[in-house]
Amino acid sequence: MRGKVAVIGVGMIRFGELFDKSLENMIQEAYLNCLKNVEKGIDPKEIKAAWFGQWSGGFIGQGAQSGHSLTSMIGNREIPCTRLENACPTGGDTFRHACLGVASGLYDVVLALGAEKMRDKPSAESLGGAGGGGGAETGNHPAWMIGQGGPAIQAMHATRQMYELGYTMEDFARVAVKNHHNGTFCPYAHYQFEVTLERVLNSPVICWPLHLFDCCPQTDGAAAAIVCRADLAKKYTDKPVYVLGSNVGTDHHQLWDRNSFVEQQSTVKAARGAFEMAGIKPKDVDFAELHDCFTNTELMNIEDVGFVRKGEAARRLKDGEFDMHGRLPINPSGGLKAHGHPIAATGLGQIFEVVTQLREEADKRQVKLKNGIGLQHNVGGPAFGVAVVNILSRSL
Amino acid sequence: MAGIIGYGIYIPKFRIEQKEAAIPWGSWAGGEKSVCGADEDVVTMAAEATDNAMKHAGIDPAQIGAIYIGTASSPYIEQYVAPILAETLGLRPETTMMDYSGSLNALANALLGCLDAIAAKRITCGLVIGAENRATALGTEGDANFGAGAMAMVIGTTGTIADFEGLHTYSTFFLDRWRSVKDSWVSNLNDYRFDREYGYQKHVAEACKGLLEKLDRKAQDYTFTVFAQPDDRIPSLPAKDLGIQKERLAPGIASVLGDLGSCSAFISLAGVLDKAKPNETILLASYGSGSSNAMSLMVRNQIDKKRKLIVPLERYTNRKQYITYTSYLRVKEHVKRGPY
Amino acid sequence: MTQPAPASPMFWRFNPEVFRLIGIKCNDCGHVSYPRTRICHECGSQNLEEYKLPKKGTVHTFCVNWAPPPNFEPPIMPIIVDLEGGGRYQGLMTEFGAPEDVKIGAKVEMVLRKLTTDRGLNIYGYKFRLV
Repeated sequence: MRGKVAVIGVGMIRFGELFDKSLENMIQEAYLNCLKNVEKGIDPKEIKAAWFGQWSGGFIGQGAQSGHSLTSMIGNREIPCTRLENACPTGGDTFRHACLGVASGLYDVVLALGAEKMRDKPSAESLGGAGGGGGAETGNHPAWMIGQGGPAIQAMHATRQMYELGYTMEDFARVAVKNHHNGTFCPYAHYQFEVTLERVLNSPVICWPLHLFDCCPQTDGAAAAIVCRADLAKKYTDKPVYVLGSNVGTDHHQLWDRNSFVEQQSTVKAARGAFEMAGIKPKDVDFAELHDCFTNTELMNIEDVGFVRKGEAARRLKDGEFDMHGRLPINPSGGLKAHGHPIAATGLGQIFEVVTQLREEADKRQVKLKNGIGLQHNVGGPAFGVAVVNILSRSL
Repeated sequence: MAGIIGYGIYIPKFRIEQKEAAIPWGSWAGGEKSVCGADEDVVTMAAEATDNAMKHAGIDPAQIGAIYIGTASSPYIEQYVAPILAETLGLRPETTMMDYSGSLNALANALLGCLDAIAAKRITCGLVIGAENRATALGTEGDANFGAGAMAMVIGTTGTIADFEGLHTYSTFFLDRWRSVKDSWVSNLNDYRFDREYGYQKHVAEACKGLLEKLDRKAQDYTFTVFAQPDDRIPSLPAKDLGIQKERLAPGIASVLGDLGSCSAFISLAGVLDKAKPNETILLASYGSGSSNAMSLMVRNQIDKKRKLIVPLERYTNRKQYITYTSYLRVKEHVKRGPY
Repeated sequence: MTQPAPASPMFWRFNPEVFRLIGIKCNDCGHVSYPRTRICHECGSQNLEEYKLPKKGTVHTFCVNWAPPPNFEPPIMPIIVDLEGGGRYQGLMTEFGAPEDVKIGAKVEMVLRKLTTDRGLNIYGYKFRLV
C-alpha cells in the first residue's frame, strides 16, 4: 500500500441530530463538500469507482442496502459501486476498500463515502437496535444474547479494567472531559460544550459502570474522501496525504470465546498489520483518532494499538499526555464522544480529521506535527471482533 | 406395587405476606406465601424439582419410559409442557409424553397414570412432575393465598424409598373452583360451607374410607396423614370423619407457602418423607374439582441410605426474600407498563 | 428487524445447546465453546468432541444494564462466567437482590428460566443464580 495511494480531497457535514436532513441530503452535501475540497479542482467524471459505507441498511431509520443508491444520489451512474458494512469499522473499512481499488492498479481516482441516519427514531430505540435486541436476529439464541448491546459489552470490559488494571470510573470520565474540550474547537462536532468530571460521574448510570456521559451519542452524519494514485496526486493538490498502511483485524464474534476483556485482539491485529505495512512503529505517530464509543474503550484502544503498555493509559491521560497539546494527542476532533458516531460515517469523519491535521488546516484544534503521521482506528461488531486501522502521512 | 425411587421439590424464593394482597381490598388473610419471580413459571419450577428428584433417584434418564406432568396452570392450552422437561433430560423420543391438566387433582391423576403404566408393564420407570403458579384476579381471595411450587418423583420398582400399597378414587361432578378459556383467572363463589363440606371434606373422606376398606386398615394406624392443603385447617375436617388425631396430620404449609394447588399434598409429602423412617406409613389424599385420590405408602429402608441426596423442603422454605405489593402486582402481570 | 419466532427452525436447532448445554471441546487446543460447531473457532481444528457444559462456575465479568431491550424490565445483569473445568458462558443473572451482591469471583449456578415471551410462546434458557 505504501507509496501507491494518496488522499486528494475530504468532505463532511457537521455531525448531529439532523432532523431536517434526509440520508440523501447528507450524502449529497458531504459529496459536494468533498469535491470542493480538492485544491486544484476535479471533474466528478474523473471518479471511476465508488465504495459506499452504510451500516444499518434501514433498520433504525433510513438506510440504503446497495451501492447503486450512492451512484444514483451523486448523479453518476457510470461507475461501479459496492455498499460496504463491517459494523462500527464500516467507515474506516470503506476508505480501505477505496485504497485497495487504487492500489490494485485498476482505478486511478475513486470515492469513499459513508453515511448514517440514526435519529429518525428516538435514541433509546436505535441504541437498542445497535446490537442488543432479543438476540435471535444475530443467529444465536436469546439466552446468550439478551442485552448484549454496545454499552453492555463495553461495560463488561470496564468492570475487568477496574478489577485487573485498577482503573476507576473517574479515569473513564476523564476521557469525556478531554474529548468534549477538544470538540469545542471542531465546527463539525455533534457536541460543542465542555463537561466536568462531576457532570459525567453524576449523569445517570446506563450500564454500570458506565454513565450516560461515558457513552457516545446517537448521531446523523456523512463524510467522504477522494483517493487517487500517489503519482497523480500533485495534479489535484499541493498537499496530498499518503496512505502508508491500511488493515482490518478480526477476532472472535462470540463474546464468550474471547480470552481477555481488558484488550481487544481485533484492534491489536489491525494495528500490528497496518504498522508492518507502513514500515513504522507506534512511537512514530504524531496523533490518532481512536474509536472512543465509550470512554473506557479509548483507554483500551490506546493500549491495544500499541502506543502505551496495558494498564498505563489512565495514568498518562491524567498526566495530560493525550491532550490536544500533549505528547500524543488522541481524538483532537472530540472523538466519538463529542464529535458523534454516525456509524458508517464515523471512520471517514476521522479520515477527514487526520487529513486536515496533516495539511495543517485544523485551525484552532491544530496539533503539533513532528513526523507528519496520523492514525485512524475503529473497532466494533459482535464481541467487538472487527477493527480497522489506517495510517496516513504528509510525505511518501 | 411400584414406589418412589427419588423425589425433589422447588419453591421460589420470593414471599409476600398474604395480608398485603388482601388489606388494600378491604379483606384479610393470614400467613405468607411463595411467589414466582418474573422469569419463573411452571416449566422452570418443574425443571429444578426434576433435577433434585433425578439426583436423589440416581437413575439414568434413558430408563424413563414415560413422563407425566400434572398442573392446573400450564402456560399453554394447546402445546404440551412434558416435552420441554424431556428436552432438559434428553429423554428418548419413545418416551410417552403425558400432560394432565385442568384440575387440582392433576398431579395425583398423573401419578395414577404412571402407576397404571408400570402395573401394565408398559414401562418400568416413570417421571411424575407437578408444578403450580395459578393466575388470579386482582383483589380476590385467590390473589391473596395462591402460592407457587413444584414437586417431582421418579416412580419405579427397584431401589424405592417408599412403596404404594393401595389406591382408591372418589369422584363426582362437583363445581367449586373453575377457570374457563375466556378467563385469565380462577373463579370461586366463596360458598365456604358448601365447598368445604360437600366438596373437599366429603370426597377426601370417601376416598380414604374406600382405600382403608380395600386394605383392611384403620386410619389411626397410619404414622402420618397428608391431605391437600388449600388452607391449614381444612384437613382436620375429613380427618375428624376418619378418626385421625390432629397430631398425625402433616404440618401446615398453606400459611407458609400458600395454596399450592395440585402440588399441595405432594409438597407436604416431601416434607414428611424428608424426616420419615423405615416402616412408617403415610395416608395421602389429593383433592381437586370434585375428585380425590387416596394412596397408602410404606416407607422402606432405602430412605436412610439415600437420605444425604435429598434437597429437603426446609432448604427452600428457609430461602426467602419478601417483595412489596407493587412488585407483586407487576410480577403477576396485574399491571403492565404502557407502550409509550 | 423481526426476530425468528420460537416456533421457527432456528430455535428447534438450538434445543440440545439451550436445554442440555451440549457444546464442544477442541481436542487440539482445549477450547470449550457453544453452540456446537465443526471447526474450532479458536484454532481452526476439526478434532472436536461434544461436551456437556457444567452448570457451575464463577463470575468473570458483569455489568448492570439499566437500558435493556424492549420487554425487559431494568435492571438486567449480563455476566460472563468461568465454568468449572474450563470454558466460558454468557447469560443473565437472576434472583439478585442488589446488583452490588454480584462480584467478580462469586460462585454461581445455572437455573432454567423464562427469558421472554414472543407471539404467545415462552422462550426458556439458563440464567445464573448466586450459590
